[in-house]
Amino acid sequence: MAAPIRLTVPGTLRYRPIAVRVVAEAARLVSESARVDPNDPLVLDVRDPFDTSVVSAFMEIFNNIAIHAYQRSESGMIELSITPADRELVIELRDNGRPFSLEGVSPLPSALDDDSLPEGGMGIHIAKTMLDEMTYEPGPPNLWRLCKRLSTQPTGAGRS
Amino acid sequence: MSKPPFEVQRINNETRLIVRGSLDINSAPVLAEEIDRIIAAKPPRVVADLSELDLIDSSGVAALVKLYKGIRNGGWGGAIEIQNARDQPLAIFKLLRMDKVFNL
Repeated sequence: MAAPIRLTVPGTLRYRPIAVRVVAEAARLVSESARVDPNDPLVLDVRDPFDTSVVSAFMEIFNNIAIHAYQRSESGMIELSITPADRELVIELRDNGRPFSLEGVSPLPSALDDDSLPEGGMGIHIAKTMLDEMTYEPGPPNLWRLCKRLSTQPTGAGRS
Repeated sequence: MSKPPFEVQRINNETRLIVRGSLDINSAPVLAEEIDRIIAAKPPRVVADLSELDLIDSSGVAALVKLYKGIRNGGWGGAIEIQNARDQPLAIFKLLRMDKVFNL
């Protein structure tokens, strides 16, 4: 197991882009994806399916912590541990906010049409589907553990 | 304050919403306000162009669903087309099975 990358950020949405960028670069260490513009390393490029999955899932969990655990307040921190290995990436997020109930998340409608298109409640579904493993342990600290392996890709994640 | 990641063009009967960069929990509320204005104008045809959209999260999806429903169900016969989703945004729409509804 490679040494983890550790980052602690305030648990507010203002710091989300910083955390997302670090996670995107960690995903790239595993996927070894090519940049859209090799001369501009600052472009956030997540076109590779592995990078897409990791970043999409992470964004939703960060949102969840900022909104549900910390209630959009500036009351706590998020501790990130990001471990890029040979063919997988493991991300742990720890917070000291309100515990979340994964069991309370409603499934998406089985059939979608104009009327049943959801306008909320999609975040956990996105994260869970994009990852190979996602676990949550209520704390304190609350612990989200996200794992994505290189060998499998989610349905629908791909270049177009 | 960064520039909002969208632009609205009105040409004849078509309202074109061009969404750029990242549409997420930080930028979606600003877009949602613009969507309210678009819907209030009861346009006959709206095109949401996502060709320059790089990243989207569930909040961004919710904003686009709000636009889609607002135009389709508004009662004045408005039409909406969501076009040119690619890469991560297209993967999210496919995961949520919205690609079929939006004809992406």
